[in-house]
Amino acid sequence: MKNQRVGRLNLKVAGDKIHFFFSLLRQGFMVEAPVGCSVKTMLNNTLGMDDNYVEDRIKTIFLDAKPVDDIKTACINDGSVLALSGAMPGLAGATLRRGGQLASFRGSISCRSGGKNALSQEGHVVVKLFNLLVNDLGRIFLKQGILIKKKQLEDFFGSRTADFWPSLKSEYLDSHKINLDTWSEIKFPDLLLLVAEPGEES
Amino acid sequence: MDKILRINVGADGGPEFKTETLGDYAGLGGRGLTSAIVSKEVPPSCHPLGEDNKLIIAPGLLSGSAAAMSGRISVGCKSPLTGGIKEANSGGQPSQMLGRLGYAAIVLEGQPKTDSLCKVFINKDGVKITEDNSLCMLGNYAVVDKMKAEYGEKIGVISIGPAGEQKLAGASIAFSDMELRPTRHAGRGGVGAVMGSKGIKVIVVDDAGCSVRSPAKPDDFKAANKEFVAGLRKHPVSGEGLPAYGTNVLTNVINEAGAYPTNNFQTGQFAGCEKISGETQAETENARGGEGSATHGCHRGCVIRCSGTYYDKDGNYLTKQPEYETVWAHGGNCGIDDLDAIAQLDRLDDDFGLDTIEMGATIAVAMEAGIAEFGDAEAAIKLVKEVGAGTPLGKILGSGAAVAGKVLGVERIPVVKGQAMPAYDPRGIMGIGVTYATSTMGADHTAGYAVGSNIMGIGGKTDALSPVGQAELSKNLQIATAAIDSTGMCLFIAFPLLDQPETFQALIDIINGFSGASLTADDVTELGKSILKNEREFNAAAGMTNKADRLPDYFKKEKLAPHNITFQVSDEELDQVHNY
Repeated sequence: MKNQRVGRLNLKVAGDKIHFFFSLLRQGFMVEAPVGCSVKTMLNNTLGMDDNYVEDRIKTIFLDAKPVDDIKTACINDGSVLALSGAMPGLAGATLRRGGQLASFRGSISCRSGGKNALSQEGHVVVKLFNLLVNDLGRIFLKQGILIKKKQLEDFFGSRTADFWPSLKSEYLDSHKINLDTWSEIKFPDLLLLVAEPGEES
Repeated sequence: MDKILRINVGADGGPEFKTETLGDYAGLGGRGLTSAIVSKEVPPSCHPLGEDNKLIIAPGLLSGSAAAMSGRISVGCKSPLTGGIKEANSGGQPSQMLGRLGYAAIVLEGQPKTDSLCKVFINKDGVKITEDNSLCMLGNYAVVDKMKAEYGEKIGVISIGPAGEQKLAGASIAFSDMELRPTRHAGRGGVGAVMGSKGIKVIVVDDAGCSVRSPAKPDDFKAANKEFVAGLRKHPVSGEGLPAYGTNVLTNVINEAGAYPTNNFQTGQFAGCEKISGETQAETENARGGEGSATHGCHRGCVIRCSGTYYDKDGNYLTKQPEYETVWAHGGNCGIDDLDAIAQLDRLDDDFGLDTIEMGATIAVAMEAGIAEFGDAEAAIKLVKEVGAGTPLGKILGSGAAVAGKVLGVERIPVVKGQAMPAYDPRGIMGIGVTYATSTMGADHTAGYAVGSNIMGIGGKTDALSPVGQAELSKNLQIATAAIDSTGMCLFIAFPLLDQPETFQALIDIINGFSGASLTADDVTELGKSILKNEREFNAAAGMTNKADRLPDYFKKEKLAPHNITFQVSDEELDQVHNY
């Protein structure tokens, strides 16, 4: 992935329609970051979430599909998938909660500590934001830009309903104005930084 | 609630009724009452569809009062699906209405002497039972419409659809919601078949002229209820996640954990899960709009409001917001990633009177047998319609996953005690697998709040990070379970109760403020234990040994992706669960 050209897709979206893009955040976007660090370091330093937010809101964490209990010891590696969720209902929801009273119920799939690599090694991590967190953070991440693959973008456009397209107010690929009504005719690079924020036509 | 209505459907000249005092059953409600009556009055060896079985419909202890979340109703009997004792519960309006009318339970008993169908009308003036064969094979929606035309719009309706009339083991009992639609169901275990076997198609409840039940200590009750509601609202699960997304918020999370049973439990992750997730469902409902779209209660007095209303693409009402288990059963478990198709299946289940979990699991088994392809939503809809139409194939499918799997020659049948597993693969979350195996009800995700975690400790898998010891944890869970089961309160109050001691205390104070009693947590724990003890004894007398407390063998042999694990809890460990 290194040295791969990254296109920049800049979109202005009608203010109350930015949530149309939240499914991309739930499916996962890539973050280029130092790896070999703890989940806590990733949340604090790379994703910019402070400790209070992490403690109060991020109640369920998966690292490579394994529920995480201790964010200080669970280690992020190159290619890791980090999924973040609020507190979930039901017995299963309580079972998956980090450090929860029912953690023993899923002990065989829980994330174990250790396996740290050398710090500051650069890598790519896929981040998924679910439920309450995508509402809290979705607009911020979309404004900063999320790194996604062409296939993911094309699948996203391909599954949009008619009410999506009028919400797009301005569309640029790199510095070129484009028209996403005809997105299937556009040759997107394999990797894109999608920036979507509220705004009007420009 | 000081009386029981008994309807003997086998009386000469047609059904007759009597009301009697609670007697030995005083102080019981909900599951506590249904299981007590079944244990005491139903011979464990009887045929579930025969004259000796009884169907008990019991509001919770607090139903009909002003207590928040108190609108659950329990249905009990010997189950035609499991062969053991059954309690299935539901939301909807009838629980509150029966409570206000003073009925702690309705008991249907005996065996009708003819094939005629009857309707029962209950109001403050009494009970009227009428033969009405015009209701024959009507869906629940049509039944409600007829009852509205006959009795007006301020009624509650308890009914069965064609599945119940056919006495199929997957049949549910419908309870009407706030909009007078038959969307709330006591789904599990074939309770609808037992109602069908009694020849009762519908029970109409009208509480006009009745008052909200008064608490013994009004000031204490009011203060406790206020504290309780505040506790529910401040908790992130009951105050935020559930109202915003409903129970289907679990789809993405369980899938991420690799415990989302996909294509008849073949794998633990579903590629199409985002398309049917709670977040996508809520966005779809919000975009389509309409009254009560993404956030709605299932009964008056609900403050969590985890339900919603599902409108089709053209804005027409289709069904209530399908719950997580329904979306999974008809969705990922059948490889279907189309929310509109799943909503249509939910509507059909509600109309025919079918348990959505059992039907989804059964269709997945049929797909594995080659009756249809995984992912074929049209075929799934067609199969459910077979059940409603009463075709031979429909009767097999409506009898549940165990029967269908046996008929169709499928080895992978995800059931315990004949009842299909819900939406959590026991290989991924083994604690829930322990509950599936050892519950008195068959595979049931709601039964395990009181049991299970201690066994994981005995098995050496206790998580050292857990801040509370397993014994203490088990005790707390039993308290919560017993409290919920005895009050008729919604299960989703459980986690605010566990996380917030003041909210748990508020619940105890509500019970005491209402009843005038001085219950302690220990008293409630004892009640919970006694319910389970009754149920275990009934099942044992019905012929269930500890061999019934097992998962199907393939869960111990087939590894589940992505974690590539099998169910590892030993039989010896399972046998320790009810060792109290």
